[in-house]
Formats: sequence, structure tokens, C-alpha cells
Amino acid sequence: MAAAALRWVLRAARQVLPSPCTRQVRSYFVDWRMLRDVKRRKLAYEHADKRLRINAIRKNTILPRELQEVADKEIAALPRDSCPVRIRNRCVLTSRPRGVKRRWRLSRIIFRHFADHAQMSGIQRAMW
Amino acid sequence: MPKLSPCWGQNATKTRQGKAEPSARGSRSRPAALRRRQGARGRAAAAMWGRVPPAWGCGAGRAARFSLLFLAGRPRSKFQKLFSTTSVLSTEKDKSTTSPGSTTEVASKSPDGAAETPKQKLLNIIGNMKVEVTSKKKFQQLKTHAIKKQDTEKQEGLDSKSSTFQEAAEDTQRSKPLNRELVEAVSAVASSLPRSKEQTESELLAQLRRHEENTDKQRRGGAINIRNVISEMSIKRQSPARRGVMISNRISLAMEEDGQRTKPERLSSHSFDSRSLREGKRLNIFTKASPETESALKTVSSPTIWDLEFAKEIAAVTDQPPRNGFEEMIQWTKEGILWEFPIDNEAGMDDDAEFHEHIFLEKHLKDFPKEGPIRHFMELVICGLSKNPYLSVKQKIEHIEWFQKYFEEKEELLQEM
Repeated sequence: MAAAALRWVLRAARQVLPSPCTRQVRSYFVDWRMLRDVKRRKLAYEHADKRLRINAIRKNTILPRELQEVADKEIAALPRDSCPVRIRNRCVLTSRPRGVKRRWRLSRIIFRHFADHAQMSGIQRAMW
Repeated sequence: MPKLSPCWGQNATKTRQGKAEPSARGSRSRPAALRRRQGARGRAAAAMWGRVPPAWGCGAGRAARFSLLFLAGRPRSKFQKLFSTTSVLSTEKDKSTTSPGSTTEVASKSPDGAAETPKQKLLNIIGNMKVEVTSKKKFQQLKTHAIKKQDTEKQEGLDSKSSTFQEAAEDTQRSKPLNRELVEAVSAVASSLPRSKEQTESELLAQLRRHEENTDKQRRGGAINIRNVISEMSIKRQSPARRGVMISNRISLAMEEDGQRTKPERLSSHSFDSRSLREGKRLNIFTKASPETESALKTVSSPTIWDLEFAKEIAAVTDQPPRNGFEEMIQWTKEGILWEFPIDNEAGMDDDAEFHEHIFLEKHLKDFPKEGPIRHFMELVICGLSKNPYLSVKQKIEHIEWFQKYFEEKEELLQEM
């Protein structure tokens, strides 16, 4: 099981960039939690439409209740990781779950580090 | 006391953060840039328009000699429309023909008008030579016209004073008598036409004599009177234009590099000879790859690992890192990191559907029951979809079809109720 997961990880993580770039190249996930988050995101994307439609049947006052109960059971049968609520916006570089700014997808520490080195475009020290 | 740490300053507006929203541009804003570009265009247009009138007047004088040759033996009336150099002709020939007064003025203006550099004058001349091409084309048409209606053309052509002048000069030399049949034909034509019989006869005969003389001279290989030769030369379609273009390019290039002694760049594959690369016999040195071999190549199995590695090596060698910021931006645009400017709000969206296809979705509700809660529910679904601008029509139809399938599956359940 672990080996299969590892293999899946390596395949997923191997990003062969076509050109020799001078950017930061990340050929691995920072930790397993980040990996799990990635899996959840993929599943959520796959099942998003289905979930939307079944929920439209469920959250209804027009359709008969029996139909809605059936729909409840159907949505419970979907994989648990397919629900978007389980996704956590982690820091992209450090996998930190808290203190992450959505616009940059970075945790506050990394953000500050880059901003201090003038590597964040359009970011300036506030002074007023 | 708060110490001011070094400011990072504002970097380039293009961020590395992928598809971050295009932040507000600075002073190098698009409107300003657009204005500048338009200004340049406007200036160029103005310059162009300003150039044309002097060129016309200046080139007229030098190009007159060329016009002369075309005048000989060509119908004057049509020529007058095309060319305005009749005034210069008259000065040369000492015979005032129907020279429109306007052209004289134009011709006189030419020496006064431009205090131009010799380079510009030359360029103007050569530019005019290009203009003459159109007239030459018309001449060619005229010539084909003449082949069809030979007699009438000769008639009008002989009215020109130049031919009569030449006739007067060559009157004395008449070594060979003309063919009897031709003479008879000439008399018949002259009689058929409404003008004065004798005059037409004499002019036609003169024309014939000139023609005979030319052929004799050519056979003998004697000194060729260029005037006569060119007057009856067939006009090739493209070569003069090409020559003119190439010569003008040559001269302009040579003139522009007055200080430097660099050779002008070789133009495209056109040689400066009259023949082009595409004419002539095929040498059959290179054979085309037959379609069989091509298909055979394609049936090779998928590339092996070594081929992939080789391809990667080549890519690694050829794709050098960008030399400057522009190349970097080009690379990013190709990869999709940088958006294409001017920003297209619908980039990546290929929704060709009209608005009515988005809004009026009732036609997809045909297979549903017309009454009952399901219909009610579906109408609400359609109402919501019609208000959704983010989905394409395909996606909306897919939603509706999924519901249809779902309710078909649940029909048994519904019938129990």
C-alpha cells in the first residue's frame, strides 16, 4: 500500500519542465499532509458536478421527500475526500495550514521573507 | 524611532505569481502608448501625402524620354490620359501638339519646387518608374487590343506627329519596294475608312516601310536604332517593376550607408538578371521523397527511451536560457504564465453560442413530464442556468441531461408514490 502510494507520489511529483529554467523547481511535496490535500482537491474536482446536482435535489421543497432521501444516500456513498469542505488552503512552500494568505498561497513567514528580499512584485513596506 | 528598512520598490508589473490579476499599470500605460503609436502612424501618413505631388512634377522631366518611346506608334488619345508629359515632348520635337496647359505648368514647377538632395531626386525618379509600370501594363493591353484591331490602331497611331517626322526622315531611303499585296491591302483599307484616302495611304505605307527596314537591319545585325526597337518591343509584365524595385532598393540602401562601406543586403532569391530562379529547365538533381517512404516512416513504433533521451538532450542544448527580459517574457507567454496583451477578456473561452442559446433552455425540457413537481423543479433549474454566465451552453445541456437520466432511473420509485 505504502509502496503504491509512493509510486503514485513520484509519478505525480515528477514535473519535467521543458526548458532549463532558473526558477525554483519543486520536484516533491513538502509533506504527506500536503499530498493528501492534493488528492482531496483532485477528487473534489472530479465529483464536483455530481455533488452539485444531487445537492440540488436534496435542498428542495418541491420534490417529494422520498426522492430526497434517496439522494441523501447517494451522496453519502460518494468518496469522503470528494467533498470540498475537506480541502485546506495550505502554504504552497511550507505546507503550513494556518496563516496563509489566499492571494499568494503563502504562509505569513515565507511571504515576509520574500517581501524583504524584494521578490514579491508590487509589495512595499507599509509606512503611513 | 522607526527606522526605514530598504524599500523593495515596485518591480515590473508582470508578477511571477502566475495568473495574478494584471495590476494597475504605471505611467507606461496602454492609452499613452497607443496615442504615441497613432502619432507615429499619422506622421508617416502625412509624410507620404506630402511627398506625392513634388514627385510627380519632378519625375516628369526625366521620365519624358521614356514616354517618347512609348508615344511613337501608340494612340495618342489614350496616352494623354495616362501620361502628362506631352509638354516636354513638344519642346523636344519643336511641334506644338495638343499639349494641355496644366502639364506645362507641372513641368515648369519641377525645377523650382524641390530643393531636394540628389538622392531624393533619384528615388523619386525610380519611384516614378514604378508608376510607369501601370501605364506599361495598359500599353500591353493596348497592344493586344491592337493585334485584334490592327487597321484602326495603325490609323490612330499614324496621326501622331512623331511618326510623320520619322517618315519624313526616312523618306529618302527606300531601297526595297514593298510587297504588292500589302500595297493593295493598304489602298483597300484607306478606301474603307472615312478619312482622306491619300493621307491614310501614305501613312500606312510609311509604317510598312519602317517595319521592313527594321527587320532588314536586324537581319544584317547593323546598328540598332534603339528608338525603333523599343517602340515595337513587347512589354514584359514583371521585370521592369522588379528591376525598378530592386534598383531603388539598392540605391536607397547604398545611399543610406554613406558613412559605412557595408554592402547592401542581398534581397530575396530574385537574381538581378532577367531570368528568375523558377524559370528554366529542371535539372532533376533533387528528387522528392515519394509518399511511400513517408508512410513507411510513420509506421515506425512509438519512440524508444533512447529516442526520448536524445530529444531531451537536443532540447536542453537548443533551449538556451533567455538572454534578456524580452525573451524571458516571450518564454513565459508561450508557457502560459504571462497573459497575451492587449488583454482579451475571453481568452481561453471558446463559447461561440449566442445569448438566446444560453437563456431559452425550455426546448431541452421536451422529454420531461409537463406537469408535476419534477417539471416545476426543472423549470427552476433552467431559470438558474439561464442566469449563469460562467457555464458554456454545453455544460448547461449536460446538467439538464443528467437530471433527465436521474429521473428516468427513479421512475419506479416515483410510480410507487
